[in-house]
Amino acid sequence: MMQILKTLRIKPWLPQGQETEPFSVATNKEKAASTALKFFLAVITVIFFLFTVTFLQRTQSYDFQALSGEPWLPFSNASMLWQNSIYLLMASISIILANKSADLQSFKGVVISLTATALFTVLFIGGQVQVWQQLNQSGFYIYANPANSYYFLLTGMHALHIVAGVLVFIRCIWLFSLDLSYQTLASRLKLCARYWHFLLFIWLFLFFLLTGDAQTFKTIALFCGF
Amino acid sequence: MTEMENIAIADQVDDSSHPNSFLTKYVWSQDHKVIAIQYSITAIAVGLIALVLSGIMRLQLGFPNEFSFIDPSSYLQFVTMHGMIMVIYLLTALLLGGFGNYLIPLMIGARDMVFPYLNMLSYWTYLLSVLVLVSSFFVSGGPTGAGWTLYPPQAILSGTPGADAGILLMLISLAIFIVAFTMGGLNYVSTILQARAKGMTLMRMPLTIWGIFVATILGLLAFPALLVSAIMMIFDKVVGTSFFMPAILSLGETLDHSGGSPILFQHLFWFFGHPEVYIVALPAFGMVSDVIAVHARKNIFGYRMMVWAIVAIGGLSFVVWAHHMYVSGMNPYFGFFFATTTLIIAIPTALKVYNWLLTLWRGNIHLTVPMLFAIGFIFTFTHGGLTGLMLGNVVIDLPLSDTFFVVAHFHMVMGVSPVMVLFAAIYHWFPLLTGRFLNNSLGKFHFWGTFLGTYAIYLPMHYLGFLGVPRRYFAMGETDFIPESAQTLNAGITVSAIIVGLVQLVFIANLIWSTFKGKKSGRNPWQATSLEWQTAQFPPGHGNWGEHVPQVHRWAYDYSVPEVKDDFIPQNISPEEVEYLISDENNSREDK
Repeated sequence: MMQILKTLRIKPWLPQGQETEPFSVATNKEKAASTALKFFLAVITVIFFLFTVTFLQRTQSYDFQALSGEPWLPFSNASMLWQNSIYLLMASISIILANKSADLQSFKGVVISLTATALFTVLFIGGQVQVWQQLNQSGFYIYANPANSYYFLLTGMHALHIVAGVLVFIRCIWLFSLDLSYQTLASRLKLCARYWHFLLFIWLFLFFLLTGDAQTFKTIALFCGF
Repeated sequence: MTEMENIAIADQVDDSSHPNSFLTKYVWSQDHKVIAIQYSITAIAVGLIALVLSGIMRLQLGFPNEFSFIDPSSYLQFVTMHGMIMVIYLLTALLLGGFGNYLIPLMIGARDMVFPYLNMLSYWTYLLSVLVLVSSFFVSGGPTGAGWTLYPPQAILSGTPGADAGILLMLISLAIFIVAFTMGGLNYVSTILQARAKGMTLMRMPLTIWGIFVATILGLLAFPALLVSAIMMIFDKVVGTSFFMPAILSLGETLDHSGGSPILFQHLFWFFGHPEVYIVALPAFGMVSDVIAVHARKNIFGYRMMVWAIVAIGGLSFVVWAHHMYVSGMNPYFGFFFATTTLIIAIPTALKVYNWLLTLWRGNIHLTVPMLFAIGFIFTFTHGGLTGLMLGNVVIDLPLSDTFFVVAHFHMVMGVSPVMVLFAAIYHWFPLLTGRFLNNSLGKFHFWGTFLGTYAIYLPMHYLGFLGVPRRYFAMGETDFIPESAQTLNAGITVSAIIVGLVQLVFIANLIWSTFKGKKSGRNPWQATSLEWQTAQFPPGHGNWGEHVPQVHRWAYDYSVPEVKDDFIPQNISPEEVEYLISDENNSREDK
């Protein structure tokens, strides 16, 4: 912040001193990609923030029926969601290991950890689909109640972001198979890892948010002024 | 690190994106300049559709029931499509996709965007969104007629034109557009932050780039609100959820919805909608600043203040959204808060207007066509801005909210003003694209026709608003409180609108004719300092800079510097290369 303020105070019309140059030029595309990723994560944050605000407001309407809090509600027992969380956590850990293996130029390590990342990510998506099916089978249809609607909507949006990440992940592997450059793979996986961690964080937040009971929502809404 | 990686990305030649066939050079091009032109042509083409729609609307308003092809439903559809196309698919796309793409790498001294492939993908996704939108004209029920704000519940209920396929195509098209914008936007901010030429510090960037930079950040953070609301409305329409839909009777039938909040949609929409005003305005502010400085041969007055104002306006634009919703029945304190923030945002905005005027003051003003449009912009923007101050107050807004006064206000501030800058920019940068000038006489005719014509349209429209003539009405019917003379005025506005529309055809003809037959401009015809005019090849070729990217030694506004031989010093001229009027002895003293 201070750096930004300092930059904005520079008087460019005066003879130039050390304060204005040299400046930072990216020396490789990794830095540019890192900047782009930071902004992209900001965009995703805004999307989920806005969904959350609308959700919290909706929790206070007369027809909202939370998905946990009573024994017959689906997330009073959230073991499936815990299981899915562990899958995503494992995916996040294995992508870090893949990055480390790429740093160490270990082909075996890269292959094992990338396979583990792919496997745990697919398990997570599969687990989420299973939860959707269970909700449907129990009569918690998407249109039946706003809590259901938000559950499907938010977890669906999250899954969509994971799928987008998987596509980029596949591209990384494909590019690695072409040039076998560990250095490039490591820099790409570093960004992939950041994205996976971020989506893990979003998932844990959604997990907490969507499985709250009526009393929790009331407290949060009161705190937020809804 | 290898040697290659030590070279700034601006200096690295990316062989993979080097075009080697007609398709890769002109169609699937990754060159930012070609993509910019693709964006611009598509935006202008779809903008012409919207212009025709406005002409049809005006025919109905000026001469009610004279034209059988306009009925109440189609009128609403034309209003909706005109608004949405102009705001999103023309202005946003042309200013950021067109000018942003063309100018960012050239003005900051980069070879291209940092992600050329993503940039290409951005354009084709944008084109897809336009095609999806336009396809709604051809589906059963036609395009949506819900108004460009698409307010539920009426937007998705029977009885509203295009409430089936039309609204869905609109929402899907918007979602695709947002994906396209995000791909482009990530490129713009990353390029500006990471690929500037050596010496191009942030505070040496031309204001055009500052405007585009901050507007892109606003877009990245504001478009998600539109995406969120579009997705939720699609769910309400297709799946039967009740995000925005309350318990409701429609055409005598009780629907399954319950508990949703239409006001919530308004909040989301305007949380995007108001920053959108500045997504359009900030690049325009930046470009007009540069046009004024170049054609007045004077450094921009208060450069730092101009940058601060752009940043401040960007920040404040996120806390004024509910001034679009005063009539929704909000808490008075809520209204008071938003009225206050709205008035506060006028401060940095007014500061910019003063600075443009002070740049002109005692400048060596060249009344070229770009300068005429730039000065015209100061008039129209001040006019639209002042009525904005009026409408920012709750007590004034309430009675005027649904009248032509608001239509006149936002057209002056958000329609005419950015378009004046777009014209200024097109006339200014056309030689950079083609090596030729646009025809001067046709340009002046275009300017006066547009400038006077838009005043002939919108000044009387303010008056109609004061009289209480409501907006969005197909026909007035029997109304005692509106005098018959209002209809005469309405007819006059229509005649002016048609004349302004026809004048734009002269501009299009000028564009086409001058591209091939226009007077050759030579290098840097306006004697500008900024980097885009200093390329090795003119007009700039692929990679922009020949063998080496330029090194920047100064800001972009060294015009009429005392004791210097020429009245401008390009940004890439080092202090040693500057030619002074006085002796070399003095020259070296100055350098020290």
